[in-house]
Amino acid sequence: MKSIRMAAAPALIVVGALALAGCTSSEPEGEAADPGSLTVWIMGDSSENFDALVAPFEEESGVDVETVAVPWDAIDQKFTTAVASGEGPDVLQIGVSKLRTFADSGALLELGADTVADYPNLAAGNFLDGVAGEATAIGGKVVSLPWVSDTRVLFTRTDILAEAGIDAPPATWDELRADAKTLAGRGDGQYGYYIPQWDSALPVVMTWDQGGEIVDADGMIDFDTPEFQQAVDLYTGLYADGSVPTNSDFDQTQGFVSGAAPMLVSGPYLAGAIADAAPELEGKWTVSTLPTAAAGTSLLAGSNLGVWGSTKNEEGALKLLDFLSAPETQVSWFASDGQLPTVKAALSDPALAGDPLVEVYSQQLADARLLPLVPNWDGETGKALLDALNSIVLTGADRDQTLDALFQTTSGTSVN
Amino acid sequence: MKTRLTGYAFITPAMLLLITFGVLPIAVAMVVSLTDMNLAGLGDWSRIRFIGADNYTALFADRAFWQAMGNTALFAVVGVPAVVGLSLLIALGLNSSQGRFFRALRSFYFVPAITAIVAVALVWGYLFNTQFGLFNHLLSLVGLPPVPWLSDPVVVKFSVVWVAVWRGIGLNVIILLAALQGVPKEYLEAASIDGASRARQTFSIVLPLLRFALFFVTITTIIAWLQFFDEPFVLTKGGPLGASTSISLFLYQKGFSASQFGYASAGSVVLFVIIAVVTVVQLRARRADVDY
Repeated sequence: MKSIRMAAAPALIVVGALALAGCTSSEPEGEAADPGSLTVWIMGDSSENFDALVAPFEEESGVDVETVAVPWDAIDQKFTTAVASGEGPDVLQIGVSKLRTFADSGALLELGADTVADYPNLAAGNFLDGVAGEATAIGGKVVSLPWVSDTRVLFTRTDILAEAGIDAPPATWDELRADAKTLAGRGDGQYGYYIPQWDSALPVVMTWDQGGEIVDADGMIDFDTPEFQQAVDLYTGLYADGSVPTNSDFDQTQGFVSGAAPMLVSGPYLAGAIADAAPELEGKWTVSTLPTAAAGTSLLAGSNLGVWGSTKNEEGALKLLDFLSAPETQVSWFASDGQLPTVKAALSDPALAGDPLVEVYSQQLADARLLPLVPNWDGETGKALLDALNSIVLTGADRDQTLDALFQTTSGTSVN
Repeated sequence: MKTRLTGYAFITPAMLLLITFGVLPIAVAMVVSLTDMNLAGLGDWSRIRFIGADNYTALFADRAFWQAMGNTALFAVVGVPAVVGLSLLIALGLNSSQGRFFRALRSFYFVPAITAIVAVALVWGYLFNTQFGLFNHLLSLVGLPPVPWLSDPVVVKFSVVWVAVWRGIGLNVIILLAALQGVPKEYLEAASIDGASRARQTFSIVLPLLRFALFFVTITTIIAWLQFFDEPFVLTKGGPLGASTSISLFLYQKGFSASQFGYASAGSVVLFVIIAVVTVVQLRARRADVDY
C-alpha cells in the first residue's frame, strides 16, 4: 500500500503542474496578432452574414477578418473588460446610445479629417446628416463612423383597423389615441396599441413631436417643459384609456400577429420578424411614418463603427471601414441582414428604392434625430425617465411628485 | 517537523488560489469603494478621485438599494426553508428504496441543477408569459383570470423564487441522500424492534444523525440565496421597477450597466459584511459536534 501511495504523490504533482501549464499557455488574442488580421465585434445575430459580407474584402486586400458575435446584453461587460485589460478588438460596432459611454473611456481611436483623408468613402458628406461628422462627435472629436441606421415607424394591421371602421393608419397622435381606444373596445385581452416598458426613446419622440426639446440651450437635460408634460399626458392617457397592455412580458411580434396589439411603433427589424412569423398576413399590415402633432420627428438610432485606440492594424481597420462604407456594400448588407444603410447613395440605390417599406423608412429617416449624447442614456438618464413614467402608469405613483423627482435627478446631466 | 511541512506544502497551492481569487478581490473592492471610479477612470487611472465614505452615504440613502435589500431578505426567508425542507423530503423519499426506478429518479431531480440557466429562463419565461404562456392558458381552461406572473410586483418575487427553488433542490438532494446512506442500519433496526414507527425513527434517529449535513446544506444555501442573481437577471432583469431586483443584481446593474464601479464596490463590501456576519452567527449558534 505504502509503495502505491509513494508513487501516487509525484504523479499527482506532475498532473497538477501540467494542468497549470495548460491553463497559462493559451495566450490572449491581441498579443501576437499579425499585421494582416482584424478582430471585429459585431452585435446580435448578424455575425454570420457579416462573414459573408467581408469575404470579397478579405480576398482583395489579404486581410484576415475574424468576426466575434457579441449579444446586445453583453456589450457593456465585454467593453469594460476590454478597457480594463487594455486588449480589445480592432474594429467594433457601437450602438449610438452607447457611443458617449464608449468614447468617454478613451479607448477609441480618433478618426479626424487627416486620418480618413485617404479613404474617399469615409468623407462625412456621404452619410446621413443626422449621424455624419459632428453629429456623433464627442467632445469635439470624431471617434466613430456611421454604419447602419435605424428608425421608428408606425406598424398597423389594416385588416383589423378596417373591421373597426378605421380606413387608414392614424396621421396624428390624437387620432392614434382615439383609434387605440376604439380598438381596445373589441374585447377582453384586446388592445389598441403597445407601449414597450423598456423603450426610453418613445416618450422623447413624443416630446419632439409636440414641438419640444429635452436638451436646453446650454446642453443640459431639461424635462421640465410644457411639451414634455403634453407627451406625458399622451403616454399616461393611453394607459388610462385601457388601450395598452400593462404586463411587462407582452410579446410585440406575437401581439401584432394575433391582433392583440394592432398598432405598434417599432423599427424595421419588426417587419422582418412579422414576415417570418406570419407570412400569411402579407397585405394585411402596413408601415407608415409616425403620427404627427407639431412635428413628425422620429428616432434616429443605429450603429456606428469604431476603431480600437491601441489596435495593431490601423491601416487594415481603416480599409475595412472604407469597404463597409461603400454604397454597394451597404446595399448588399441591407439585402442580407435587413439593416438600413447610412450612406445616402445607398439609400437612393434602385435596389432599395423599389421596396415600398424602404420608401417609408427613407422618408422617416429624413426627419429623425439622435437621442442626446449624455454620458449614460441607457443606464441612467433613460432609465430614470422610464422608471418615472412606469411608476406613474403601473403603480399609480403621484404624477407631479414623480416628475419633480425626475427633473431633479436628470437636470445635472450634460451632453458636453 | 517534516509532517507539518508536508501539510503546508499540500495546502499552499489551494491557499494561494483562494487568496488571489477570493481575498485579494475583496481587498481591491474595499479600496475602490472609497473612490469614484467609473468607465472613464478605468481607462485612465489619473481620472479616479478619492472620495472617502461618500459612496456609502449615497448607498444608504438610495431607495433602490433598500428595495433590493428587502427583496433579498424576502428571497432568503422564503427560499432557504423551501429548498432545505423540500430537499430533505425528497431525499428521505428517494432513500426509501434502492430500486432502479428510484435511482433513475435521483438523476431526474438533479437535472434542473445542471441545466444552463439561460435555457431554463427561456422556457420558464414562456410558461409564465401573461398573454401566451402555458400557466395562464391552463388557468383559463378552468375559468380563472390570468395571473401576471412576471409583471405584478408581488407575484414576480414568488415566481422568481419558485424557479430558483426548482433549480436549487437538485444538489442538496444529492448531499442529503449521501448523508442518509451513512446512517447505520443497526440503529433503525434496534428502534423498530423496540416498537418505534417509521415517523418516530425518522425524527428521533435519522434527523439528528443528519445534523452536520443539514448544517452544511443550510449554510451554503443561505450564502447562495443572499447572492441570488441568476433567476431575476434572466427572467425579469430586476422585475417591474425593481420588484425582483436582488442585491447582487442591483450591484451588477450599477457596476456594469451604469459603470459606477466605486458605488457598486461599496455595495459589494456591505454585502460581504452581511454574509460574513450571518455565517459567523450560524457557526457560533451550532452546538458542539457530537460524534455518534
